[in-house]
Amino acid sequence: MTSLNELKTVAVATARTHETGSVASRVLKRLVRKPIAIIAVAWLLVVVFSAIFADVLAPYDPLQSEFTAAGILQGPSVEHPLGTDDAGRDVLSRLLFGARVALAVGFGSVLVAMLIGVPIGLLLGYRAGWTDRLGTRFVDIIDSLPGMLVAFAIVAILGRGLGSIMLAIGIIFSMNFARMSRAITLAERSKLYIDAAKVSGIREITILFRQVLPNLAGPLVIQGAILTGAAIIIESALSFLGIGLESSVPSWGGQLGVAVSKQIVQPFIVFPPGLTIMLTVLAFNMLGDSVSEALSGETRKRFKRVAREQTAAPAPADPANVLEIRDVTVELRRRDEGVALVKDASLTVGRGEIVALLGESGSGKSTLAKAVLGLLAPGIGVASGSILLDGKDIAGMSEKELRSIRGTELAAVFQDPMAALSPVHTIGTQLTDVIRAHAKVSKREARARAAELLDKVGVRDAANRLDDYPHQFSGGMAQRVAIAIALASKPKLVIADEATSALDVTTQAQVLDLLVALRDEFGMGILLITHDLGVVAEVADRAAVMNAGEIVEVSTDAASLFDAPQHPYTKKLLAARTRPPRHASSTPRGGRRETAQEES
Amino acid sequence: MLKLIGSRLVLVIPQLLIVGLLVFSLLYLVPGSAAALILGDAANPESIKEVEAQLGLDRPFLEQLGTWFANAVQGDLGNSYLYKRPVADLVLERLPATLSLVGGGLLVAMVVGVGLGLLAGVNARRLVDRGVTGFSALMQSMPEFWVGLLLVLVFVIQLGWFPVVAWTPPGADTGKWLRGLVLPALALGTGASALIARQTRTAVAEALSSRYADTLTAAGVPRGRIIFRYALKNAMIPVLAASALAVGILFGTSLVMERVFAFPGLGSLLLSSVISKDLPVVQGAALVVCLIVIAVNLIVDIAYGVLNPRARPQ
Repeated sequence: MTSLNELKTVAVATARTHETGSVASRVLKRLVRKPIAIIAVAWLLVVVFSAIFADVLAPYDPLQSEFTAAGILQGPSVEHPLGTDDAGRDVLSRLLFGARVALAVGFGSVLVAMLIGVPIGLLLGYRAGWTDRLGTRFVDIIDSLPGMLVAFAIVAILGRGLGSIMLAIGIIFSMNFARMSRAITLAERSKLYIDAAKVSGIREITILFRQVLPNLAGPLVIQGAILTGAAIIIESALSFLGIGLESSVPSWGGQLGVAVSKQIVQPFIVFPPGLTIMLTVLAFNMLGDSVSEALSGETRKRFKRVAREQTAAPAPADPANVLEIRDVTVELRRRDEGVALVKDASLTVGRGEIVALLGESGSGKSTLAKAVLGLLAPGIGVASGSILLDGKDIAGMSEKELRSIRGTELAAVFQDPMAALSPVHTIGTQLTDVIRAHAKVSKREARARAAELLDKVGVRDAANRLDDYPHQFSGGMAQRVAIAIALASKPKLVIADEATSALDVTTQAQVLDLLVALRDEFGMGILLITHDLGVVAEVADRAAVMNAGEIVEVSTDAASLFDAPQHPYTKKLLAARTRPPRHASSTPRGGRRETAQEES
Repeated sequence: MLKLIGSRLVLVIPQLLIVGLLVFSLLYLVPGSAAALILGDAANPESIKEVEAQLGLDRPFLEQLGTWFANAVQGDLGNSYLYKRPVADLVLERLPATLSLVGGGLLVAMVVGVGLGLLAGVNARRLVDRGVTGFSALMQSMPEFWVGLLLVLVFVIQLGWFPVVAWTPPGADTGKWLRGLVLPALALGTGASALIARQTRTAVAEALSSRYADTLTAAGVPRGRIIFRYALKNAMIPVLAASALAVGILFGTSLVMERVFAFPGLGSLLLSSVISKDLPVVQGAALVVCLIVIAVNLIVDIAYGVLNPRARPQ
């Protein structure tokens, strides 16, 4: 129940700024906008209020019993709104007093857990190295023990009572806090300011408390709230078993203990204490989740679909073009207004042509590529314009229609080939799945074709590499595999989205050569998305430049872009590049680049 | 494969030593002498000395620890003060009920958790996702034993679909054994399924928005195949880690759940020994539960290596 939250809270803590004051007020502002947080706090206030004023609020003395046939196990009535238990005691009064035990154990044990766990975590995270390795292993071992068992053992040692329950639950939860504060300390430790503080000679312990604790505050509140709820569940379980507090002390779990044998007589008895526990634990969980969301600014808002403007059927495409992008605007739907990520973009790719789409990161070039592929994230969509692939408008196609053209007409090669292949499936599995998506062939046949494809893209010893996993390939070889996947069904258009950016320069050149060779053999058009002018110069027939979501310039051929740039942004791009390279002669890439430029 | 198992086994050794040390120390942490506990009212300084000598309690700590370990390895966990019988026998008698309960709970948690998580992850940020997230938040907030009480109320008392006495030994009547396990396993699995559902949801959603899912989608692989073959297997790696955590939780919760369904498992044995301070039984039961949890973690660790080729020793 906790590991997920832990990860989340650590991420939150390391990502946020250092100003605790302003963070707290910002979080508070976000919290009051969340209805679920308001409801949770309201319920918790009710519980706290009942605990404090139980003496005044309770209609009866929680211990006052009435051992008569008519007095015990009553259902709800005017005198006893929630009925009576097996000793004729008023259930409502016992619930109100039970809030005291629940809150005392909840808060008390979380406090104990923090007091034990946080120092351990700080120490491990700060020392790092061997202390950390051994310590973390120890924390893991203790944490893998069933918590209830630890509680049994501690009650066996110390006997029943509030103190031993708090200690037991505190020990169980302490490892959680240890792990969390270790992760945050490790993250903080690697940041510069701690090193700076070390140099200035402030004592280590002061550093720990000054720098790490403010970052820890948020996660501690989040995890603390959630674990308070969990502590209440454990306390009620122990009281339910009769090894919690003395049985005369009213507790929610103890009241459920009665239900085991008596719910057959009075079924109502199981509801009031159970619902009270559930709502209280739920409130603590919701509060923790809400604080976590408020801290990170993350929302759980549902995505809104971006509807494409209805326009008349687009004019027929030029048969020489495999792709025509016409005035495409891509929008991110935020609340009710759309934010344009790509504005009125138009671009064509001829059959067998390599067109480069150039731009810096964030210019919208990858968004445009994803729009063509129909792979835009939920909440983002084509708001207007049309995308004609081989004459058909694919911008408004359904998922099913898209599937029929993916692979056969349209395919993609992405950046970072390691991420582009499933790490837990063999190359063979992935290739044969792609082949069998379009061709009705046997597994054997698909495997043979897969080996053929791998061979074609230049993977040596292809047949024997089908059973290897992606991590057993080098980056360049993995990208060749990704290209094989894209080419499996001989598409008419391949979109290569920064396909060579993650590779080293020599490999980059080889992969580009491969793309050109494959284009020459199969005649597919390639939309080459890149930020690298060298790549453009080397392989592109034509180039387009994109900036801030707009296509600012389309050249008639790659050379003219370099020789006579039209748009100021293109000029700026080129100027940035023509600065003399640092070791032009020593890097093969630099060398190639220069040659390419001379040729053009 | 052997290399993988071997590398994981080595990691278990310190775990066993620490758990053994903790369990053994129980005896020393209890205020007052164990001999006094055994003798009860008959205790006087002389008889206490005598019993301590008999039990070897007058020996140095390390020697006692060594003896205890040596005995434990041979399956001798000492004798119960209360029942005057070997602890190992007592624990073994109770094991089938506890293991049936935990196994059933784990099955429920995996099926319900992975099912719901998959549903939510595939429909991430849609209405279905919200529904599942809300439902699992609710499941996480209900004490399992209360869920058990509610199930008994509805299905045993009101509808009469299940017998009042839930436990039947598996050897005696397999059908009856399974039937008796349905409600306890369902109740036990609620909290753990919420945990697994949350983990599965995140992992599946992440896998589906990954670059490899895009690559395969762009190459025309059907979405169903991407979900069930690619996203699910990738998601199983973090889910497996969560299920190891779940086993520990399930064991702990089963000790409580026993009381709702009157199961003759380790929980009731532990309960009576905790109340009567029958320490060897507490030690023995705790040790056995810890060993099982360690074994399950070992299996999960190995499965992790099988599932994730990068985690295999090279």
